[in-house]
Amino acid sequence: MSARRVRALWRRVVAEIRRDRPSLALLFVAPILVTGLVTFILREGQTPALNALIVNQAGLPGSAIAGEIASSLRTLGDQATQATDEAAARAAVRDGSATLAIILPADLAASVTRGGAITITVLTSGLDPAGESGQLAVLGKALAAAAGQFSRSQPPVIRHTTVYGVPSSDPIAAFAPAIVGFFVYFFVYILTGVSFLRERTGGTLERLLATPVARGEIVAGYTLGFGLFATLQVALLMTWALGSLRIPALGPLPAFSIGLGIPVAGSPPIAFLVVLLLAVGAVSLGIFLSTFARTELQVLQFIPVVLAPQFLLSGVLFPINSLPAILKPLVAIMPLNYAVDGLRQVFIAGADLSNGALQEDLLVLLGVAAFFAVIASLTIRREIV
Amino acid sequence: MTTVPPPAPGGSPTPAPATIRAQDLVKMFGPIRAVDGISFELAPGRIYGLLGPNGSGKTTLIRLLTGMGRATAGRAEVLGTAMPSRAVLARVGYMTQSDGIYPALTAGENVRFFGELYGVTDATAPEDALAVVDLADRRDAVVATLSGGQRRRLSLACALVHRPPVLFLDEPTVGVDPLLRVQFWSHFRRLADGGVTIVVSSHVMDEADRCDELLFMRSGRVIARGSGRDLRARAGTDDLEQAFLRFSGNVAATR
Repeated sequence: MSARRVRALWRRVVAEIRRDRPSLALLFVAPILVTGLVTFILREGQTPALNALIVNQAGLPGSAIAGEIASSLRTLGDQATQATDEAAARAAVRDGSATLAIILPADLAASVTRGGAITITVLTSGLDPAGESGQLAVLGKALAAAAGQFSRSQPPVIRHTTVYGVPSSDPIAAFAPAIVGFFVYFFVYILTGVSFLRERTGGTLERLLATPVARGEIVAGYTLGFGLFATLQVALLMTWALGSLRIPALGPLPAFSIGLGIPVAGSPPIAFLVVLLLAVGAVSLGIFLSTFARTELQVLQFIPVVLAPQFLLSGVLFPINSLPAILKPLVAIMPLNYAVDGLRQVFIAGADLSNGALQEDLLVLLGVAAFFAVIASLTIRREIV
Repeated sequence: MTTVPPPAPGGSPTPAPATIRAQDLVKMFGPIRAVDGISFELAPGRIYGLLGPNGSGKTTLIRLLTGMGRATAGRAEVLGTAMPSRAVLARVGYMTQSDGIYPALTAGENVRFFGELYGVTDATAPEDALAVVDLADRRDAVVATLSGGQRRRLSLACALVHRPPVLFLDEPTVGVDPLLRVQFWSHFRRLADGGVTIVVSSHVMDEADRCDELLFMRSGRVIARGSGRDLRARAGTDDLEQAFLRFSGNVAATR
């Protein structure tokens, strides 16, 4: 091993990276940005105020407990109101006017008299599993404080049910929509960004632009081309995630099933539509960002800057309602957020195209795809110098 | 301002008034004047050679004439229309300095692809273009498996597939062996005889005599124009390279 040759090599490496200003900046800025954002979210994250409905099915003794629960929630800064019956409460949770409903069962008084634990049912929507378990933790404190007044011996048992889906029956069910959305976005972006960069650096874009082709035609062609592979990718991913193909036992081989068998309440084709619109937006984003990249390395370096914030701010990892207030406006402009929400509506709530929340998600995704298509075609300048 | 004649149909070469005109053309890159006030008119059926050292503005000039760049000042006109104009590009062939072909596609797929972008409807046109550059038997070969010279030929085929009346060739013979170079030039001559206006940029002086007219370029300017013989005579030398240096010297002296 020659020290001289090693020195020549390391000097060359240092000189190359030093002259690659964008890479250099990202090398130092990206980790600071991402770790800073994560720290900020975790430290400044807030437990949003609950808007609880209390349904008392236990008559007079129940109303005393309901009053205690309400006042103990109010001291925590939450809202609590009485609802007439469980159906009304369920409707309020479904349409989002209440965060959750607390149902005091009819046999409450009997339980108290027996000195046993009382069982309180808590109803949430089920659309945001991570966020809801945080709310339940808050509620647990208030319920314990209130119930302690009546039943000294044992803390209350909280039974959690949801409007949509069944909580914690399958831990992956809560994360599947976010994971499907994120990975499609991620891979379509990389594929398009790198391909278009090759077009720019390989001299073929110059040649393309010397033909009568219009910029919009290039973006449309790319969208269709990569859209095809995005479609195949999504189809395969969905089949894998939702499918459960049982293979019977054969000779010494035991029976097994192919596919993750993630439960989905709604129609897979609608979920497919959501992901496809997201993917179309990712094609244009790839073309747009390749303008600012000189090398394939730089295309990859946009990931921490462009994709990581989306990952952190779209409810993939952290529940949106517990994000710091300052970051909430950013959530509204993250395309991934709408895809994740749309997929949750379909996967968990079983939404179809008549669902207002899903329609909004689809419209925003369509708008984002159109916006970036225009931006992308504007970045393909005839003037290549 | 004249109107553009309709694009020539795929088959017969129509005698279009292929004229290229530059008027006080200037292109600035920041403080650098890459093209510094160029004016000329080029007639159909002739081969023009843009000759000059690297960085003399040849490629930038071609890019202004093909509408790839917008002039800072002045006017570039091809076939009677101010560039950039997408409509005119259907009648202009451009062979870029880099090969500008898709390595994962076959030779045939590359030619067909560019043919479709140019609006070629004649199904035999891509095949003819491959035959012209002697690549017909390699049509199904993936570009990545072609030699450097074959890629150059394919690049030329892609510029010819729509039978354009105006052809810009940016250093077409770089990396091409001498035998093939002769074939290239005899083909250029045949095209010119058919009425095509050809602009070839080169920094190889020994190719210059194959052009009908030369434009010596230096520092973004055309410092001399004429046939090879004419330029030699004016410079008082038998050697074109010497002639170029004489003209360059004159420019330097007058500056």
